[in-house]
Amino acid sequence: MGELLSPTLELSQRLGQRWVNIETARSLARETRDQLTDVFVDIDSDDTSIVVLDSLGREEFTTGSDIDWTLLVDGISDPNHHALSIIIGDMINAWASKPVGREGTFGTLVSSHDLIHKIGGEEDTNRNLTRRLLLLLESTRVGRPFALDRVTKNILKRYLLEDQSFWRGTGGYGHHIPHFLLNDFARFWRTMAVDFAFKLRERSGKGWAIRNIKLRMSRKLLYVAGLLACFRCHLDFVPHHPHPEELFRNEEFRPAVVDFLSSIFSPPPLDIVASFLLEYPGPDGTASKLFGAYDKFLGMLSDSQTRDHLDGLPEGAGESDTVYQQARDISHHFRDALLDLFFDTKTELGQLTRLYGVF
Amino acid sequence: MQPLGYSTGALARADFRKALEMLKDQPVTAIELSAIRKHELIPLLRSLDDLRLARFDYVSIHAPSEFSSEEELWIFRELYESRHRGWPIIVHPDTLHDYSLWATLGDLLCIENMDKRKPAGRTVQELSTLFEVFPRASFCFDIGHARQVDTSMVEAYRMLKVFAKRLRQVHVSEVSTQNKHATLSFVSILDYQEVAHLIPHTVPVIIESIVSEDQVGPEIIRVRKALAVS
Repeated sequence: MGELLSPTLELSQRLGQRWVNIETARSLARETRDQLTDVFVDIDSDDTSIVVLDSLGREEFTTGSDIDWTLLVDGISDPNHHALSIIIGDMINAWASKPVGREGTFGTLVSSHDLIHKIGGEEDTNRNLTRRLLLLLESTRVGRPFALDRVTKNILKRYLLEDQSFWRGTGGYGHHIPHFLLNDFARFWRTMAVDFAFKLRERSGKGWAIRNIKLRMSRKLLYVAGLLACFRCHLDFVPHHPHPEELFRNEEFRPAVVDFLSSIFSPPPLDIVASFLLEYPGPDGTASKLFGAYDKFLGMLSDSQTRDHLDGLPEGAGESDTVYQQARDISHHFRDALLDLFFDTKTELGQLTRLYGVF
Repeated sequence: MQPLGYSTGALARADFRKALEMLKDQPVTAIELSAIRKHELIPLLRSLDDLRLARFDYVSIHAPSEFSSEEELWIFRELYESRHRGWPIIVHPDTLHDYSLWATLGDLLCIENMDKRKPAGRTVQELSTLFEVFPRASFCFDIGHARQVDTSMVEAYRMLKVFAKRLRQVHVSEVSTQNKHATLSFVSILDYQEVAHLIPHTVPVIIESIVSEDQVGPEIIRVRKALAVS
């Protein structure tokens, strides 16, 4: 692959393994994004970014993937942004295998104001929460970067700079964990799990199997990436800083923390996990098991027959369905690898998980 | 005391004499002589020996912000003739065509970071490319431009960290979404305070806010508050 070595590729080489489905999905994602960038040239601006999310944002794009997108506006409001969003929708629909989800979370224009100002409270709707956290966890842009970069950093600025315990350090342990952000990742993960049940009822079971497997794999991956990013604030930023003892007492270092976490979130979630594993390998075999399972999951999604089968599987038919059971087994391997990684009592990650990951 | 002053262009556009007059009773020790429009360059440069600049600890010249490749040589030559004065020449990097000419200015070439309209010089990444071409060039940090590109101030922070050794002067104003250099507001003051500690107290600060005469003093006070200028 003629590209800079990504953490995932580096990890695969270190382990002497090849995750062909991950490589293929990543390659297709980049190709698609480059093509979309060419299509959208000259229609965005520095006040707007055309943001793609979901499998394209995560670089896990397969031929059956839809393309979730938003027109992110961070600047002067202009009535013609609506016309622009219609054009973008038409152009993207011509590329995608199916239209964006029916919830209306994506496929429209989104102002930065609610994303930055409405964190928590009554006005932080399910939709706003989803948009905000997916912007951090799995977004990328086709075209100009400025609006997305600005909004991402400003969201992080709110989570980090308003978090008293992050700056003070957790009493007794001296851990600098961004609780505000970590709690929102936990909330988002549980919200996705609850919404699975909601959609099951709302859609009378239609599409339950594929959503279930995605929840167990790609949605869970988002939570994993979010947790690891939060823990890296403590594990990596503090010790590597030239003045660790002053860091959290001095307001002058605040932009540095935002910059650090922003760089952690910059790559797709698989790379966030891979770069963690390169630094902190965890128990033997964990990385192979985790990425091996994820590779098989993407292999199933990229097979149109398998995907269609899971998409059309009636509710209640899962127990006797070999394809679903195979997917479920993969998700169990993935889960077990995560349990090995996060709950290893010998590692600092294990201690952090015990202290902050559950209660 | 940190040198602080105005751009003549912000006070009186092409009329640099009027701008200097507006500053005669103000507590300023730095001045940027602006020739932001190319027709302003010759009148300014031909007047340099007649201007009363002795009160200023720091003087710089702002080169025209737009010219064609055909016009570049005479503009460069005129500016080059002023090099014996040792005054930094502030340039917008997107205006330069023949890099080999401008490189001869050495550290008197002072590259400014740009607002979001411009195709170059907006971020650390884009500036790094330019400083590879001009390894001796110095840096004019425009805090208003940096904030316009990234309101989180992280890019401003990064510029000040990465280009700390090159930092020659600071431009300050609030740059609106329509790219106008306005007076500082409550919000921009708070934003600028976040990175002010990274600006050494020896680096001159040049105000670019477009102000009427009665606002010259109040804007100085706002800038002192925003950047903790002594």
